[in-house]
Amino acid sequence: MPEFATLASPYSMPAALHGDVDLSDPEEQTRTRALNQFLAGVELKAFKIAQAALRHEDDALDAVQDAMMQLARAYADRPAEQWKPLFYRILENRIRDMQRRRTVRGRVMAWLPIRGEDDDEDFDPVAQAPSAEPQPVRRLELAEAMGALEQALEALPPRQRQAFLLRTLEGLDVAETAAAMGCSEGSVKTHYFRAVQTLRAQLGELYL
Amino acid sequence: MSGPDDTLTEFERNARTVLEESVRRIDARTRSRLNQARHAALQAAPARRPSWWQGFALMPAAGAAAAALLVAVVLWHRAPERSPALAFDAQHAVVEDMDLLTDKDSIDLMEEWDGSFYEWAAAQSDGGAESNS
Repeated sequence: MPEFATLASPYSMPAALHGDVDLSDPEEQTRTRALNQFLAGVELKAFKIAQAALRHEDDALDAVQDAMMQLARAYADRPAEQWKPLFYRILENRIRDMQRRRTVRGRVMAWLPIRGEDDDEDFDPVAQAPSAEPQPVRRLELAEAMGALEQALEALPPRQRQAFLLRTLEGLDVAETAAAMGCSEGSVKTHYFRAVQTLRAQLGELYL
Repeated sequence: MSGPDDTLTEFERNARTVLEESVRRIDARTRSRLNQARHAALQAAPARRPSWWQGFALMPAAGAAAAALLVAVVLWHRAPERSPALAFDAQHAVVEDMDLLTDKDSIDLMEEWDGSFYEWAAAQSDGGAESNS
């Protein structure tokens, strides 16, 4: 199955994939490896953040792909510690572009459930299988909590949702979140505090 | 993370657990597409030039600046030095020429120019000076 071929470890990526990269340069190899490691580390969380904002699987994938491409093209030479805020800043801009385009088109996708589950042409149970297998009861609890949280996140204002996900899911600190959101640290604290208050009011303190 | 987990409230910890679980449950097809997107991005990354290449890339600009400096130095050295007195003489000569051109008598004198007399007088003057020395 072709999917399995691309699920290899990021470090096992064949060197020949790098078209114009000078593979004889050890510095170049180190940088490419670091960039690969960084992108592999953020891609899943970035996808969830984009999906929460766009509520469309394909659009979320496109947004993440564009952000990866832009980071690699324009900021690969930056120090690695700058990549994360830059990447999420790019992703946020891309998400906003997509949302604006939707508004212009007059679509109402934002009110529809997440696509991708209903409109799959070929349902593949192996491909759809989750990567980890917790206990059935625990899975059920988590699934319920996940559904409730995702629903509550959808109802949040975009900036609050973004601050909450960047801080809670991605683990950015206040300064990094401010850099990613393009606002002050005070604004991040305010957005985050309000998001937590709203979610707690909706979901309860011990909803897990 | 900004700090250890104990700085988080129970709600925040629970929310993180749920979100991380939702990430773990991303299906294989989506993971595969993200993997492909990452590889495409890495291929799009521009190759970093070696340091000697960066120096070489700056050579045209450096060469142009050096050439401009050289030309400026040469022109500066070859320019005739003019003392204030010489500058004044030059100005004076121009004024004299203007007088000659505007004065009718002077033009008449020029028309009656006897070059041979003046050449002879100059030769006599040089000869006299040599005989005196």
